[in-house]
Amino acid sequence: MDQGSRDAAVSGHSLSEAPVRRWSRAALLRRAGAGGLAVSLGGALLARRSGPAVSSPSVDARVLQFALIVERLQAAFYAEANKNGKLRGEVAEFSRVVGANEREHVAFVTKALRGSAAAAPRFSFGDATTSEKQFVRSAVELEDLGLAAYNGQATNLSPAALAAAAKIVSVEARHAAWIRDLAGKPPAPLAVDKPLDEAQVRAALKRTGYIKP
Amino acid sequence: MTLTDPLPDLRWVDIDVDGALAETEAAAAPWTRADFLRGGLGALLGSLAVPALAGAASKPDRGDVAILNYALTLEELQAAFYTETEQANALKGETKVQARVVGGHERAHVKAFRDVLGSKAGKQPSFDFRGVTENEDDFRRTAVAFEDLAVAAYKAQAPAIRSKAYLAAAIGIHSVEARHAGWIRRLAGRSPVNTAFDEPISATRVRAIVAKTNFVTSSPKTGTKKGSPRFTG
Repeated sequence: MDQGSRDAAVSGHSLSEAPVRRWSRAALLRRAGAGGLAVSLGGALLARRSGPAVSSPSVDARVLQFALIVERLQAAFYAEANKNGKLRGEVAEFSRVVGANEREHVAFVTKALRGSAAAAPRFSFGDATTSEKQFVRSAVELEDLGLAAYNGQATNLSPAALAAAAKIVSVEARHAAWIRDLAGKPPAPLAVDKPLDEAQVRAALKRTGYIKP
Repeated sequence: MTLTDPLPDLRWVDIDVDGALAETEAAAAPWTRADFLRGGLGALLGSLAVPALAGAASKPDRGDVAILNYALTLEELQAAFYTETEQANALKGETKVQARVVGGHERAHVKAFRDVLGSKAGKQPSFDFRGVTENEDDFRRTAVAFEDLAVAAYKAQAPAIRSKAYLAAAIGIHSVEARHAGWIRRLAGRSPVNTAFDEPISATRVRAIVAKTNFVTSSPKTGTKKGSPRFTG
C-alpha cells in the first residue's frame, strides 16, 4: 500500500466504527498470511527507511516466537481463572475481557508465524487462578511483564513488524493500568516504561514457576 | 460496561459516556503524592527516558526532528491541559490524583523532547481549553480523548523513527500514554480497553481532530509542511 492509500485508509472512514477496525485487522492478517509479516505489512515503510537496521524477517520471527510464549501464558492464565470462577465483580470482568484479548493476540502471532509456531508449553498456575488476591498479584506481574517484553524488542523489529507489535503493546499497557488500579497500585508508575530484554523476561517467567519444564 | 466504545475523538461533546461504572467509581487512590514522588519521579530519573533521548550518539536527522517536534506539540497540549486542570482545582478523589500524576508525566515528556531537540524545538503553541479543565465530567471526557489520541499518534510514528535511541524512548512513552488511557477510561466509567488491537492514527488525522477542538489558539512555527513527519502511518 503506498503512502497515499495508507492515509486514505486511515482518514477516509469514521474512526468510531468498530467494523472498520475489524476490517483493518482482517486485512492485516490476510496480508501477513499471504506475504509474511515483514514484507507485507510495511513494504512502503521498509523501502523508505534507509537508516541502519539490523532487523530482518528472521529476527522478526524469533521475536514473534518469544512474544507467543508470553501471550500463551497470559491467555492460559485468564482462561483457567475464568473457568475456576472464583473471581468477583470488576476483577472477574477484567479477567473475561483481558482473557479474550490475549486469545486474539495468540491467534494473531500464531498466524503471523505462518505455521512455524513452536509447540505450546504446559502451564501450572497453582492458586493464582483460584484465589482472587493471588490472581490480582499475578495479573499485575504478567501484564507489566508482557508490556516490558514487547517494549524491549521494539528496536529489534523491522518497521512493519513493529507496527503490528505496537497495536498489541498498548493494549497490554491498558490491561496493566486496569489491574494495577484494581490492586491499589499506581496504574502508571513511571513517565517512561522500562523495557526488558529477552533474557530478563525469560528469567522473570522462570521465577513465576508457571511454565512447566 | 460496553466493549465497543468509539475510538478517540476530541469532539467530546458527542461522546456517549457509558455510566455503568460511574456509580462504583473508586475512592481516592491509596497511594499518596509522597509515594509518587519517591517511586514515580525518582524512578523516572533512573529510567530510560531522558538518558536515551539525551544520550543519542548523533543529532536527530531531519525526519526524526519532524517526528520529535510533532510528539513535542502533542505533549505540550497534554501538559498544558493537566497543568491548567491542577490550577483550576475542581477535581477530587482519584481523578485529582490522576491529573497530578499524569500531568507530571506529560511535563517530563515535554522536557525530554525539548532537551533533545534544542534549538530545533518548535515554539510552544498557546492553548485555550474552553472550560473543560474546570469540572470533573468535562475533564475526564477530554482526558480520555487526549490519552487515546496520544497512543494512536505515537503508534503511527514509531515505525518511521530512524534512531534506535529515539525509538526506544518513544515506545516507552507510547505504553505510558496507554496506561494513562486505561486509567482515565476506568475513572470515566468506560472500559479501559476497547479491542484486542489498538489502531494507529496518522499525523494528518490527528491534526484534524485536534483542530476541531479549537484548543490550540496559536500554532508553533514548525507547523509548516516542511516540518511535518514524512510518515503518517
